[in-house]
This record gives sequence, C-alpha cells and structure tokens, in this order.
Amino acid sequence: MEVKITEQDKTLVAQLAGRLDTAVSQEVSAQLQPLVDNADRTLILDCKDLEYISSSGLRIFLTIRKAAAAKGGKVIVKDISTEIRQVFMMTGFLNLFEVVSSAE
Amino acid sequence: MARQSSLKKESESIKRAALQGLMIVVVSVVTLEATSLLQYYFSSRTITEEANRRAEGQLKATELQILSVTEQVETAVRNAAWSVEYQIGKPDSLAAITARMVEHNPVIYGSAVALIDKNVAPYSFQDGDHVTKSSLATEEYDYHSQEWFVKPLEAGGGYWSEPYYDEGGGNIIMTTYSVPVMVKGKPAAVFTADVSLDWLTDLVGSVKVYPNTYNFMISRAGRIMVSPAETLVMRHSIQEVARKTDGSEVFAEVGEAMLSGSTGNTQLKYKGKMLRVFFDTITRTGWSMSIIIPEDEIYGESKKMGFVVMLLQILGVLLLIVILYYTIKNQKELNQASESKTRIEGELQAASDIQSSMLPKTFPPFPSRDDIDMAAAIVPAKEVGGDLYDFYIRDEKLFYCIGDVSGKGVPASLFMAVTRSLFRSVSNHEHSPAKIVTTMNDSLSESNDASMFVTFFCGVLDMKTGHMVYCNAGHNAPIALTDRIAELPVDSNIPLGVMSGFAFTEQEADIRYDDAIFLYTDGVTEAENINHELFGEERMIKVLHNRRSASEQMACVAEAVREFRGEAAQSDDITVLFIHYLGKDESDGKVFRITFDNDISQIPQLEGFIEKVQEATGIDSSLAMGLNLALEEAVTNVMMYAYPKGEHGNANLKAIIKEGAIEFVLWDKGIPFDPTAAPKADTTLSVEERAIGGLGIHLVRNIMDNVSYENKNGMNILKMIKNTK
Repeated sequence: MEVKITEQDKTLVAQLAGRLDTAVSQEVSAQLQPLVDNADRTLILDCKDLEYISSSGLRIFLTIRKAAAAKGGKVIVKDISTEIRQVFMMTGFLNLFEVVSSAE
Repeated sequence: MARQSSLKKESESIKRAALQGLMIVVVSVVTLEATSLLQYYFSSRTITEEANRRAEGQLKATELQILSVTEQVETAVRNAAWSVEYQIGKPDSLAAITARMVEHNPVIYGSAVALIDKNVAPYSFQDGDHVTKSSLATEEYDYHSQEWFVKPLEAGGGYWSEPYYDEGGGNIIMTTYSVPVMVKGKPAAVFTADVSLDWLTDLVGSVKVYPNTYNFMISRAGRIMVSPAETLVMRHSIQEVARKTDGSEVFAEVGEAMLSGSTGNTQLKYKGKMLRVFFDTITRTGWSMSIIIPEDEIYGESKKMGFVVMLLQILGVLLLIVILYYTIKNQKELNQASESKTRIEGELQAASDIQSSMLPKTFPPFPSRDDIDMAAAIVPAKEVGGDLYDFYIRDEKLFYCIGDVSGKGVPASLFMAVTRSLFRSVSNHEHSPAKIVTTMNDSLSESNDASMFVTFFCGVLDMKTGHMVYCNAGHNAPIALTDRIAELPVDSNIPLGVMSGFAFTEQEADIRYDDAIFLYTDGVTEAENINHELFGEERMIKVLHNRRSASEQMACVAEAVREFRGEAAQSDDITVLFIHYLGKDESDGKVFRITFDNDISQIPQLEGFIEKVQEATGIDSSLAMGLNLALEEAVTNVMMYAYPKGEHGNANLKAIIKEGAIEFVLWDKGIPFDPTAAPKADTTLSVEERAIGGLGIHLVRNIMDNVSYENKNGMNILKMIKNTK
C-alpha cells in the first residue's frame, strides 16, 4: 500500500495505490492525517490504483469526510474501480462522497 | 579392515607415545647432567679457590708466628751484641752476658760467645730451673769449624743454623742464631743463641686446614724438621723421602721448589691418592713449611654431594620412566576401552537402525493416494528406544498403532520389536482392533518373564467412509482434529502384557474430510525443561491449532518440544503419528483451511486463501474481492474483539466448496459474541450522522447470501454461505 500526497494550487491530492486492508489501515490513516488537518480545502482521494478497500479503509475515508464537513472543505473520490464502487454502493458511501471519474 | 586399521593406528599411537617418553627421558637426563656438570665445575673451582685461600692463609699465619719468635731471638742477640763487643777481652764478663741472655729470654735455651783468634767460648744454658755456665772450647769440640761459627762470618751477618739434635740436652731439636761481633771494624767473636724448636713442632702440627692434613717443615738443607711421621724428623731429608716414595718424582720437584725458597702449590700423586701441596718459605730462617691436603679432603664434601645429587637424579629418572610407562600403559588401556565403547555404540547404532527399519519411515507413505497424508517420527532418548508406531493399508482400511514400552534401552526395544511384529501378524487377518489387541495381549502376557508391558493404541480407519474403529490399551488418548481439537474418547483398558485373557473394548468414530488424528507418546507431554516443568497437553494442543500438512505439523510439534526443553536432556522417547484424512466427505466438496493468530498483520494471508477458493470454484475476481472483503471483516472482528487484549488466540476459517455454493466457517474460542445480533447499519444517514464503526458486519451481510451464528462446545461458530450459481 502506497500513499503519496501532492499539493496542486490549494488542493491536496492523495494518490492511493494497492490494497487498503485492516493490516495497513492504521499506517495509512497516519499518512492521510494532512488531509484531515487541511479539511477546509478541497481534498482529492485519487483511487486509480487502489485495488481493494476494507471497512477500515472506508472508516479513514469517512473520518476525512467528517472533518471536511466540519471545516467547510470538500472531498472528491476519483477513479474508483467497479468493485470498490460496489462497496461504496453497499455502504451508502456513494451518497456521502463526490465520486468522479477522470474519463468524465 | 576397519578394525585392523584401528589396531594399526593404535599401535602407532603407542609407539609414538613410547618415542615421546624416551625423548622426555633423554632430554631430562641430558639437562640434569649438563646442569650438574656445570654446577660441579663451578663449585669445584670455588672449592679449589677456597682450599687455596685457606691453606695459604694458614701458611702465612704460621709464618708470622714463627717470625715473632725468631724476631724476639734476633732482637735479644742484637741488643746484647754491643756489650759483647765492649767486654770482648774479659771472659768472665762474656760468660755473664751469656748467662743473662738465657735467664732473660725463655725462648733462648743457650747462649755462647766464641772468640775468633782465641780458643775461648763461654757458654750458658738452661739446666732445669737454673742456668749453668760452661764452655764450648773443649778439645773434642772444635767450635771454629762449626756451621754456626763459620756461616755468620762468611755472611757477615746474622745466621740461623741448620736445626740439629742437642745430644747433651735431652734430645730436643735446636737451632742456633749467631751473629759476628765486630771490634774496631774487624770480626772478633761470634755471639749465639740456641733456640729450642719444640714449639715449632706443636705450632706446625696444630695447623689444620682440613681434618686430615699433613704438615711438615724442612730446613734450608731439606732436612725434615717437623712431620707427623716422627721417625723422619731430623733423620731424613726431603730428597731422601722423595727417593723412597715410589716413583714420585713430583715429591722431589716439590722438595726442590721448596728448597729454592719459592711459594706456591702443586699436585702430586701418592699411593694412588691425589694430594695438593701448599708450601711457603721463611726467608729469614730458610725453613719451608708445607701443608699436604688429600684432594679427597678438599673435594670430599662436594664429591659426596655430587654422589647424592647423582643418586637423586637416577632416582628421578627412574621415577620418570615408571610414570611414563604407566602413562603409556593407561593410554593403551584407554584406547582399548574407547575401542570397546565404539564397538558397543556401533552395535547399538545397528540395533537402532534395525529397529527404525522395522517402522514405516518413508513419508508421504502412500504417494499414490490423495485421500491420506501421514507423518510419523520417533526420537529415542537413548540409542534404542521402546516406542513404536506402525501403519499400513489393507482392504482399503488403514491399520495403525502407537505404543510405549515400559522402560528404555535395549530390553524395551526388544519388547517393542516383538509388539510390532505381533501387530503385523495379528492385524493381517483381523479387522477388529479389540480382537487384535486382545490377541496381542495374550501372546505378550504369556511369554513375559521380564514383566514388561506396553501401552498401545490401535485403530482401523475405513478409507472410503471415514469410519474408524479403535481400541486403546492404556495409552494416551489421541487428539482428534475435527471442527474442534479434542481428545478422542477412550475406554480404560489395561496395557498389553500385564494380564492375559483381558477382554479389550473398542470404540467407534466417524471422521470427515480434512479431519486428523494426532497420536503421541508421553515423551511429548512429559518433556521437561530445566525448571522441571512439563510440556503438557495444553502446549501440545496449542501447536496443533495451526493446521498444516502432516509433515509440517510433525515438525512444528517436534520444534515446540525441543524449544520448550531447551538445555534439559531428553528423558523419554518421543513418538508422534499424524493421520490427516482427506477422503471423500459426504459434502463431496473440497475444503480449504486457514488459521490466524489474533494479529491483524496476518490479514493479507486471506488473499492467498481466497485465491485458492477462486481457483477451485472459478468465481470471478469481482466476487473474489467481495468474499475477501466479507471474510476480512469477519476475521478482523474475531482478531480485535474475541480475546482479551494481550491474550493469544486463534481465528480458524475453512471454506467448503459445495455444488453451487461456498460455505465459510469461522470459529474461535474467544468470548461468546454473535455478530449477527448487531443492529443493522443505516446507510442512508448523512455524513454527520454516520457512525465510524459497524461497517464490517454490514458488509458481511451484504456480500454473503446466508450468515448464521452458533456457540457450540465453547466456540463461536460463524457460518457464511455464498451461492455461486
């Protein structure tokens, strides 16, 4: 699991690659802390290379989303796979996040 | 061949040892002798120097004492000489002078004044306690021709005469000191003082450089003045003695040297003995004193010491030889002992090899069968042990057994061999474990003079049905690994060999695909560590929790026991037999198993498990990911919440592939908890309202088609079914 955060203008982009399972969730949560800290801005979770996500990963997404709601920022989930989209569907996450595809 | 070469080697090593011993002796002797010689050389030099010093010192001291007497005489004579000159014309006065000389000087025995141109010579001498006056001018005694008269005139000064016997005066050795008396520049008389040399004999004789020294003194002419051999005194000269002494020219040389007035020392041989001769001459009187010391006297002590040293050395060398001899002999015996030990070890090894060759030891034992996986091992505590196991398949039935003979070592191993061959022969025509065991027991009891017995477990497993019949004769109950891990229930029968005629009972059990039976001897559970703690059943079962292949399972148990035991010695044979049944299950499906510790870092292992299931079922990767997610949620839930924090526990998962469905069973021994009872997560809530938790079980429910929970035998069992059609 790899996490890479870049800043474009005022927007923070987190590129997630690999499997976000319970085993790595704590580490990933720590790596994504800058997003929580800057939740007043626009935050992009780039999931183009995210292969798998479990509920512990979803929890991290939710934490960021809650922070953004509290601070007036915005969270965009970008390029999720069909499988992950299903998971988002199952969990109602599609209602909570702005999910975009770069193809659109 | 091997024995010959070992004998050869041995004799070579003995030879080598003997050679080494010899070298040690030689080096010791050489070193000792060289040291002693050196010491002898230096010490004899010191002794010689000491002897020289002592002898020369004595000579000088004696000389000084003699000189003190002669000086006294000479002074007395010199002092009286002027009055002789003054009274030369008065014979009576001259007689009075001589009488005074004798009276006043006790060392002077007699005194005379002999006139040159007249025949007048008054003479006084000690006669008892008074002094008698006499005259030397008699008809028969022509004093004018006497040595004492002539010599001082010739010399023109004082002269000590040759010693002589005073024939008149009681055989005492005398010498005369005489001086010429000058009147008006011309000699007119000779003034004399006779001195007894009795004191000289005592003085010279008393010099003792060593206890047995021979001192003598000779006169200017070589006459012997003092000698322990009294017959020689005054009668013989040194030259005569030299001539009489057989072949001793050296004696003559010494005499000559002495007579020439020199001082020194020399060696000579007399009657086969080496003598050291020290000599010194008193110039004034012309007397030579000599001290003869036998070299035995000088070197006697050192020689005696040398002898003692040599004796000690010889003793030491002998002792060394004796010690070396016994060392080499011991070495030889040790070699022989170690040879016989090697032989016994070799025989025991052979016995061990024969014993282990009796037992099936090729694993996997039935490579052509896919319905069974087995592993077994014996680790004997001694070279040969009393544990046994055996198995074979006959008529699609697996006959297997494990046993532990009372005692260890060779007797136990013999009993074990008998038990094992009985098992083979009896089970060959008998299917009932109880009958097999009963027959074996009767046979073993009848011919059991040594009162040995064997705890024994025998099972017969129907490979087609998984139906198992077994009989336990006092052995540890095997562990059955089914959905749970537990001892196989066993009847309490007696061990084999105790009592003939005992009717053994048998029991039945059905095992399914992937179930396993773990048989062991008490060497496993009773393995002790250095603190005398037992490995115990609990630790053993813990190791069995992680399901692996039979051989891996075995290795894990062996490793766990070894690790537990640590430095402690193995006290009992350790035997394990692991039977993994992979025969057809009534579910007619494949089963995959995985066991996790309660450690979330093991979660990624789930991926491989899902891959196997995917491979076996052909489900698409989207479904595989969904199953992965659901199972991760379920397993994580057990890992995180089933066991108290810090306590080790397992999450066991198996996937049973069925027609049109996959059944997942997750079980743990943790705190009873029913995840299906948790309230359903509401996915329609807003961001603010959504709870962080509760997603996991929601996903499980969503992905799986059927989820059910039960708590059975102290275990949480979560069954999840996913339809694949």
